[in-house]
Amino acid sequence: MKAPPFAYARAESVADALALLAEAGDEAKLLAGGQSLLPLLVHRVVRPTHLVDIDGLDELGGSTRDARGLVLGALTRHAELERAQLEGRERLLSLAAAQVGHVPIRFRGTLGGSVAHADPAAELPVALLALDAEIVARSSSGERTIPARNFFLGPFTTALAPDEAVVAVVVPESARRGTAAFAEFAPRAGDFALASVGVAALVEDGRTSGVRIVLGAIEATPVRATVAEDLLEGEALAVAAIAEAAHVAARDCDPIEDPSTSATYRRALVRHLVRDALRTLRGADA
Amino acid sequence: MTGRIVGTSVSRARDADLLTGRGRFVADLDLPGQAWARVVRSPVPRAKLSRVGVEDALALPGVVVVLIADDVPDVRIPIRVSFAATEAAAQVLQPLLARNAVRYVGEPVALVLAEDPWTAEDAAELVILDLELEDVSEDLVASASEGAPRVHAELGTNVVHTASTRFGDVEEAFAGADVIVRRRLELPRQTGVPIETRGLVAEPTTDGVTVWGAAKVKHFNRTATAELLGLDPGSVRLVEVDVGGGFGVRGELYPEDVLVPLAALRLGRPVKWIEDRSEHLVATNHSRGQAHDLELAATRDGRLVAMRGEHWVDQGAYVRTHGVLPTLLPSSHLPGPYVWEAFELTAHAVLTNRTPVGTYRGPGMTEAAFVRERMLDVLAAELALDPAELRRRNLIRAESMPFTYDLGPDAPPIVYESGDFAGSFERLLDEAGYEELRREAGEGVGIGISAAVELIAIGPYEDASVAVAADGRATVRVGVGSLGQGVETVLAQIAADELGLAVEAVEVRHHDTGDVADGFGSYASRSTVVAGNAVALACRALRERAAAEESELAGVGEVRARFERAHPSYSFGAALSVVSVDAETGRVRPLRHVVLHDVGRAINPALVEGQLVGAAMQGIAGALSEELPYDATGQPLARSLADYRVPTSEEAPVFETILVEHPVADNPLGVKGAGEAGIVGAPAAVANAVADALPADAHDVLALPLTPQRVHALVTRAGRPPTE
Repeated sequence: MKAPPFAYARAESVADALALLAEAGDEAKLLAGGQSLLPLLVHRVVRPTHLVDIDGLDELGGSTRDARGLVLGALTRHAELERAQLEGRERLLSLAAAQVGHVPIRFRGTLGGSVAHADPAAELPVALLALDAEIVARSSSGERTIPARNFFLGPFTTALAPDEAVVAVVVPESARRGTAAFAEFAPRAGDFALASVGVAALVEDGRTSGVRIVLGAIEATPVRATVAEDLLEGEALAVAAIAEAAHVAARDCDPIEDPSTSATYRRALVRHLVRDALRTLRGADA
Repeated sequence: MTGRIVGTSVSRARDADLLTGRGRFVADLDLPGQAWARVVRSPVPRAKLSRVGVEDALALPGVVVVLIADDVPDVRIPIRVSFAATEAAAQVLQPLLARNAVRYVGEPVALVLAEDPWTAEDAAELVILDLELEDVSEDLVASASEGAPRVHAELGTNVVHTASTRFGDVEEAFAGADVIVRRRLELPRQTGVPIETRGLVAEPTTDGVTVWGAAKVKHFNRTATAELLGLDPGSVRLVEVDVGGGFGVRGELYPEDVLVPLAALRLGRPVKWIEDRSEHLVATNHSRGQAHDLELAATRDGRLVAMRGEHWVDQGAYVRTHGVLPTLLPSSHLPGPYVWEAFELTAHAVLTNRTPVGTYRGPGMTEAAFVRERMLDVLAAELALDPAELRRRNLIRAESMPFTYDLGPDAPPIVYESGDFAGSFERLLDEAGYEELRREAGEGVGIGISAAVELIAIGPYEDASVAVAADGRATVRVGVGSLGQGVETVLAQIAADELGLAVEAVEVRHHDTGDVADGFGSYASRSTVVAGNAVALACRALRERAAAEESELAGVGEVRARFERAHPSYSFGAALSVVSVDAETGRVRPLRHVVLHDVGRAINPALVEGQLVGAAMQGIAGALSEELPYDATGQPLARSLADYRVPTSEEAPVFETILVEHPVADNPLGVKGAGEAGIVGAPAAVANAVADALPADAHDVLALPLTPQRVHALVTRAGRPPTE
């Protein structure tokens, strides 16, 4: 469990990091909190030729609000999200961040890292999809904004080009209203989730709108349970409606299977977690 | 003995250092000029090995040498436990490096020596193995069958030993019984996963070699290493530094224990090897993998009549230092603390293309307790009897002590020397509030109980010496191993009381084979019993000599004594677990675990309780989360602690301990063992609690671990939809 050889460079600025990234070619990796990358390195699962360390770049930290909404720097730590005073649906970020690994991991791990790593079991991508968030990617040749729904392409695969870095995540202004809930099932405290669910909605006069039900650790990327969402659109979150949505979400998903977890079991977890999250959503609104 | 210090919870001597990062583990030891070793391991479970290509590895700058089978003596890792050595087992011992064939994923094939650990690992990847893959048998019981692919072709079978244990007339007893229950029960492979993995630093000396990183059985390993390397035992010195846990797996003789000093001698420079966690999970002994067919016969009114069973124990690809002990131990523990008219148990030691097997805390006894106690609950359900009542009617009573199962002329008898099994069991029920628990348990909450006996204090003997210096400080020398359990503190307490000294005035030296002449080490809950009594006897002899010579204690020089034990003995334990089961997710939460153990006499109650709780937690983990599964092709699936689910504090229940003290007459201190007692009955109690929490038709809890997915499947199979 010693890393294979790699070249290491500490970036002085984002521009510097992007230049180093472009120069190093396809097999370079950005190093931020290192909470996923370093274990993969020492297990020799990944073998980047170059590591560009951006962990100390102040310009990638912090958060602001502008016309687009809440802009979170890529180096926002999970612990910061967990403790942030967020409102409405934005709270989903805190709820999801609180479920990431263990405390020390949350103090080092970063939002940008979680997004760029795109582990199917990761919590924050679920939240971003449920919040209709956008990912801001930058390379030496410019910046672009990618909606979360177009960003996650497969396990550990994203829409980022090799020379692009996640510099920020934008959560739309509308997410300051409404309610959200997050539920996951992990075998042990801090384990990767076997299934997770993020839900978010506006609830006005007892009716829900803009319902999002996003499943994590179920398919290759976070996925929306759109049929279940539609069932709840404009409805009250009654017991029967919640049960029906949970049933439909579990029925319609296509769970991955691995040697220790069957698709059948994952489906059962989806049903349980969707119901659990929706009940919490109803409770939070009351 | 006055018992001024014995019986009190003295803090462990090393606690402050260990808690403040001043421990010194083998990984902390660096010697000038050391080379780093990396083991190249087989990536496949079974293949012909036609060539090991080292050219590319040697070409890497920083690589010193790469050793393959042809470079090392063609010797085998010997069996340490002589009564578990058999002729067939002796044919399937492990070489230092694989020769012509590989037999499990993780088998050492080559040893790379390099200037630093990174280069060593880079070079290990460059060693090329020419492998011709062969089929493996994926199932333990199937491996025992005629047609199964053979792990060792020359043996002609994968069954390396079969043993039967008989008492009474089983046929007649079964014929006369009212009720018979029969099931197959299975336990997965597990291992001890000490926090500190294995590691060694070896340095050549003028006439031999010194090796740091020993644990558990350093004197045996010293002698065996010397023999395998063709050295005089006196020229090999093994040193124990701080050890981060043992649990039976750490400190046995493994191929690396011989390869690392061999490499140091070959290079004429120190060599360091630190096992990483991924290696640990395939290289260090596994344990527990067993299948049991068990049949119980009873009368309608709940009297146990007879037990008949056959079990298969996964010994892995080679027989290691324990011989076939893992196969033998369940049989001597299956009868347990109950009265039977007859039993017949057949055990098969089965080779598989998986990591070799040794003992892990509570070996054989933990499996036996799970199998028997689970079956007792199955029987209790059949008889519509409360599980506690069934046990109550059959536990051996105090007035029957000593109690003997005579196993005939070919096997030593099972002898329970002392204790009050039935009375202790009642105490557990009373103190845990069993009746109220039964009345109050809500839906999804289960209560499980178990009772068991534990083999303790294997001999043959231990020597101790003691000397008191002019400044009044005593030095005790005894060949035990400190694995974090606090044995040096316990031995100091004993010596302090015997000599009338403060515990701080006693130094216990046990670390170094160059300083302590002999010793059998620390396993089988033996150190306090065997070494503790040797220390007590040595101290008494010193006092008597001082009295006879009318001298100060310091005036008589060093005094030695030996404490011998011809037979091991058994101690009683019982456990009660309360769990909740979430029918929707299958998650089992252990809520409360009460463990009772007859320790004979507690030298240090806090340390005994620590042992009981720690062991119980491991047992609970064995029941709920820990397993080393293999896929159909023979690949191990648990390669890191992300897969091998050791519990965290968040998975721990509330623990309560009950220490029973029925001293034994056969040793001066009256002590029994404590190191393993907490684990023995834990998986059984937890599994019984889970079964109790499930709907009656999901009652067949027959395989561990009870992971959420498995429990969920049991619930769904019973046709009980998740409640809304």
